[in-house]
This record gives sequence, structure tokens and C-alpha cells, in this order.
Amino acid sequence: MTYNPENAPEKPLGYVVGGSLKDSLSVRLTVPPQEVKEGSFVVIESGDWRFYGTVTDLQLGSTNPRFADEQSENRLPPQVARLLHGQTLFTNLQVLPALMQEVGPDPASPEYDHWRSQHPDDSGLQPQPVKTVPAHHALVRGARAEDVANIFGEPSPRNFVIGYTREQNLPIPLDLEKFVQRSSGIFGATGTGKSFLTRLLLAGLIEYNKAATLVFDMHNEYAYDDIASDTKEVVPGLKTRFPGRVRVVGLGAGASIRGQSPDFTLTLAESDILPEDIEMLTRELNLRETTPATLEALWQSFGRNWFSEFKKMRNGAMEEDPETGKKVPAADSVAFWANHAGVNVMAAEGLHQKLTRLFNKPYIVPNPPQDSLAEIIKLLVDKDQNKHVILSFGDHETDLDYLLVTNLITRRIREEWEKRTNAYRSHPQNNPEPRPLVVVIEEAHKLLNREMAAQTAFAAIAREMRKYYVTLLIVDQRPSQIYDEVMSQLGTRVSAWLGDEADISAVLSGLAGRDALRGMLARLQPKEEALLLGWGVSLPIVVRSRRYDLRFFEELRGAQPPSRSADDAIRELFG
Amino acid sequence: MTASLQIGRLLRSTTSDCVIGCRASELNVPVFGGMVRIPLADGTQIYGLIHNIQIEDDGLIRQLITSDNVSEDVLLDNRNNRNVPVEIGVIFVGYAQNGRISHLLPPRPPLSLDEIFTCMPPEVIAFTGSGRFGYLRHILRAEDLPQAELLAAHIQQAGQMHHAHGSPGWVEAVTRELVTLLRDDYDRLMSVLSAIGDVNLS
Repeated sequence: MTYNPENAPEKPLGYVVGGSLKDSLSVRLTVPPQEVKEGSFVVIESGDWRFYGTVTDLQLGSTNPRFADEQSENRLPPQVARLLHGQTLFTNLQVLPALMQEVGPDPASPEYDHWRSQHPDDSGLQPQPVKTVPAHHALVRGARAEDVANIFGEPSPRNFVIGYTREQNLPIPLDLEKFVQRSSGIFGATGTGKSFLTRLLLAGLIEYNKAATLVFDMHNEYAYDDIASDTKEVVPGLKTRFPGRVRVVGLGAGASIRGQSPDFTLTLAESDILPEDIEMLTRELNLRETTPATLEALWQSFGRNWFSEFKKMRNGAMEEDPETGKKVPAADSVAFWANHAGVNVMAAEGLHQKLTRLFNKPYIVPNPPQDSLAEIIKLLVDKDQNKHVILSFGDHETDLDYLLVTNLITRRIREEWEKRTNAYRSHPQNNPEPRPLVVVIEEAHKLLNREMAAQTAFAAIAREMRKYYVTLLIVDQRPSQIYDEVMSQLGTRVSAWLGDEADISAVLSGLAGRDALRGMLARLQPKEEALLLGWGVSLPIVVRSRRYDLRFFEELRGAQPPSRSADDAIRELFG
Repeated sequence: MTASLQIGRLLRSTTSDCVIGCRASELNVPVFGGMVRIPLADGTQIYGLIHNIQIEDDGLIRQLITSDNVSEDVLLDNRNNRNVPVEIGVIFVGYAQNGRISHLLPPRPPLSLDEIFTCMPPEVIAFTGSGRFGYLRHILRAEDLPQAELLAAHIQQAGQMHHAHGSPGWVEAVTRELVTLLRDDYDRLMSVLSAIGDVNLS
């Protein structure tokens, strides 16, 4: 066993007694069970190899069921009963191994020189996914600071500390570089600190600044200071803390976000709206099956101006035919156009009526004073400006607004990034590498549910836009409602407590050892605890999430490694 | 007690146990569970535990018991001069050869009329403290013995000696070993442990 000489060997937690690679390892606990918790990060020392894993379960066992059934402490003196229980009653840990690493023999041992000559450098000695099992009776210990640093990396702007281990309070960083390379998700039932986790990560991403972020802030939470609903403390806004880097965009002219005016407002030109944007709203607007045909005819008749032309038409307007004296549809009526375009009049009039909700949206105007969509994209594209955009929906908080606007912007983004990436790939010397972009979607199930996923640009982003430098950060409370094809593409998943079995399964979909992880997710603390999974973290681990407060920003700015404070200690002691 | 006391001579023996004969008047020395040693001619010491003390009757006693009263003289005469010895059963638990203690059975049994001595505390401590309680095997194997009582008596006596000589953890260690050896046999373990529970070291 290799111990760092600077650290006196601490008491092992137990030793391996069985298990398999497929399920998990059984470890006989030799310390009181209260010293180990589900989700703990443990290290198994097995000869020249070290295994890293997560505690997924604790089980009470006995060598003979009668020892467990009968309360022998009533029959025997306490010291004898203690000796009996020490050997016949035990606790087994289930440890899900995730990584293994060759560490070689003890540097002080005679075998070390021979081993070192075979491994002249440390290449090939990095932790790798577990492919075998440790030996019987291999000792298991809690992870030390150096193990955490070895596996998760030292805290740095890239390795953003998202929380701390529950037992030893060791910082657990998330590799932001990897985090933005694939789409990722933040999940948790309502009130479990999901939006705090999102804020934390966004602050980390903005500070690290390797990727642009575009936040669709449906509930106007992220830009400006807010008051926490439970503690009533001020929650710092991202715009407040990063005034130079964050641009807040309000939806609609004259929008005000929490009493503050945004940096600029977003108004959509009527010509920006395409028939497919309307088709996507089928469920929201309760559109009929005839809609696609009508939209197609509108597009044929008017091209990009279809929306404004259709809006101008009068629904049901009649006029008297001067020749026959009969009532006929007026020339500017929907029916008149429908008759000419060969579309069912009822269908066209129905659609017109249903689109009234959109015609009345103040943020859709015929000729916006500026192309604010292009402005947003410019901010996100430009590497020199290093800007991040929070789109606050202001008063337009309905699902209709959210679906329409996010999809419209995302479609434009997709086109832009595809164009830039293709240009970069064809002529790397003339064209800069596109700036990676993370699109943050709240209430993601509204856009990425089974019905919508095929129609919105988001599913395509989740599936294939990784190649085009665009990834999603999905924030949602009902992951089970999200299309499973999208869920399975998510690299990193950060999940706070989830109660629903289907939601838990959805978060774990496509991951190894999900049966073992299921319990961990169900038994997270309802607040301030999160399970980190997937691509951006080396092994699944439960963390106590970092506080998102002013001190967090001081640490972020000072780049000081976050340390345990008196506040932490008080919080741990008294909850 | 300053020196080992002779408690009797060997009546019969096998490789695993023996029976000692002693006079009824000498019976105040050997105790149930007590440790004894039998020196052999080549210097080997065989160690054993007393598991049985048996007093046989003879024809005279049968008559005396049925008589109306037994005078003090007759009683003393019978105790000191009776010709049937008290039989003491000893189970072998190990031996010492050239100063090395082994918890295996002795290479050969002692011979008739070999002398048997009680063990002094240093001998008990040296024997029971050496190795990892391998001698318990011999007791646990002999199923016709009152194992629980024998173990409890042994632990009480040896435990007091260890306690007095600075190793108070011995009782705990031997109990733990017994639990390990017997944990697959619930009934036997519980009877042993409840007997040990009655041990009083104070």
C-alpha cells in the first residue's frame, strides 16, 4: 500500500469482501456507519493499483440471522455483547468503482526501483475508467485532499469549484472546458436550489470566459439582484457582478427588468417569423391539422412578408359586389386571399384568428428600429468583446413568448455558427475559430418535450451542434418530460434532489451504474446538495453546493482557493 | 503460593488427555479449570486444564453411608487413608520444549505415575499469552466436556493473573477469539458467552 509519508495513514474505513465490476463492490465497514455516508468518495488501495469509487449504499448484515434477530445485549454483559456484535453484526458498503490508476509500490520498498524503470515517466499512470476489480481485503479509505485534486483537478478558473464533499469539505471542481464541450443539464425539483446552481455555474463560465453564454431568463432571475425566497437575502445578479461582460436584453420596447432598464431591448421584425415558427406553436395555440397547408400557401403568396400581410388582412370582412349586389369577401379579407390561393377559407380564417395572440405581441413590429437579433448574435460571436447575454423576458412570461422567442433566436444562432464553423473548417487561415456558445434554457421541457423536440432547433443543437461550437445548458425540474434522445446526449449532469421516479431515471439515462446511483439521487438533501455526473466530472459524486453569495464572488475574483470558514462550520454544526 | 504444588500422579493418559489420581486429603489444591503441568523426563512440559474431578466410592463408604452416624475419626480416616484415589481429568492444551511454547498436542503422553503440578501465574501467563489462542481448539473440539463452564473457569483464573500482571486486555482478546471461532454455531457461542458473562474479575 502506498501512503503519502506526509500524511500519517489514517484508519481505513473497511476492506473489500466481494462484488463485481458489473454491480458494485462490497466493503466490510470497520468504523461506525455514521462515519460514512452514501455518495462519499472513497479510495481502494489494492497492491500497485488504486481504485476510486462512490459509496452507493450501506447495508446491515450478520454472520447468522439469529445474531441480528435476538437482542443479545439484554442477555450478555455490555463488554461481551460489544465483542459479539463487533464480529457477528456488520455494515457493508456498496462502492461503485469508477476509475483506477496504477500507483506502483511504495517508493521506500525494494520493488520500487524495478517498477520505476518500467515506468520511466508518469504517462499511462493517469486515472482511467475502471476495467477490473481490486483484490479481496484491499483496504478502503475516505478520499483525502490529494485524491480529490488528483481526480477532479486543483481548483482554478478552469476547474470551477461547484461544491464540497460532505464529509471532509474538500472542494470539488467541475472542468468548465469539458463542461461546455457537450450539452449539459441542471436538474432538481422546485425549491432545491436549481437556479442557485445555475447562477454558480454561469458565474464560473462568465469568469472563465472561454465560451459565450446566452441565457433565456424566463423569470427574470439572473440579470439583476434578487431576494432569495427562503432566506430573504440578496442574491447577487450576474449583471451586477459582471457589469462589463454581461449585456441584459429585455424583450419588447420599453421593457424593464426588476425596475431596471436593460442594456437594449429586443424587438422582432415581422419578417423574422417563418411558418415553421408557427408550426412549433401548434400545441400552445391549439392549431389545427390544416395549419401547415395554410402557412405554405401564405409563404407562396407573400414570401418573407407573409406574417405582416396576413396580419393586415381583415378576418370576415365582407363587401357588396357592385355588379351583383351580393355580399362577397372584401379584397383585404382572409377569405378573399384564401379563395385566390386555393386554401380552405375556414382553415385560413381559423388560423388568422388564432394568430391574433401573436399579432398583438408588442415585441413583434413591422420595422424594428434596429436589428436587435443581429446585435445579440454580434455580441456573442465577437471574441474580443467577450460579452455574455441574458435575455430577460420581462412581462412577457407566457409559454407562448418563451417558445416563440427562444426558438427564433436559436434558429438564427444555429445558422450563424454553422456558417462560421464551415468557413473556419474550409479556410482556417482566413477565418477565426468560432467562439463556443452555451445556450441556457430554463423550463427546458417546454421546448424539448417529445412533441416539440423534432420541431425546435434545440434538439438539433443537443444532438449535433457540438461540432459547431454550440451546446445547451438545460435547466429543468421535470427531466422526464424532456425527449430521451436529448437527455441521452447530455454530457455533464448536475442534479439536486428529485422525488419522482421517472425524473430520476431520466437524469441517469445512458450512464453506467445508474441503478446504484438512483438511491443517491433520491436521498439527496432537499437543499444545497447536488449529484454531479457524467462527462465533466471524473466520477459521480455528491457535493454540498457552494454558497452563491458575495463571498463567492470575492473568492472568484481573488482566485483564492476556497477554504472552509467559520460560517461553514457553524452551518454544519447547527444546520 | 510460592512454588508449584504437586497435586498427584498420572493414572492413565492418551495423546489428548489424561487422568490423575490424588488423595482425598490433597483435594484442596486442584480446581476446575485450573492449569496443570506434567514434566516429562526429557524436559518437555505438558500443559493441561482440569476439566473433571471425580470421587469414586468404595465398599466401605457404601456401608458407612447407610450407618446411623459417622464419627469424626472414621470420617478423617476415610479421607486420609482410603485406597481409591480421587480422579482428576485433564485435557492437554499444549507443551513447552526447550523453553518454546506450543499450542499443539504433546508429542507423546506422559507415563504412569508421572507427577503433576499446578501452574504458577508466570507459567499461565506465558502459556495463554503466547501465540493467538490456538489452545482453545482443543477445548472446543472435545464436545463431551462442559465447554462453556470450562472456558469460563479458565478465563476467570487466567484473566485474573493477566490482569494482575499488566495485561488487562487479555479477557477481551480471548473472548473475541472465541466469537471468531464459534460465530457459525449460534447455540454454542451463546452458551460460552453467557458463561463468560458470569466471570468476575474483580
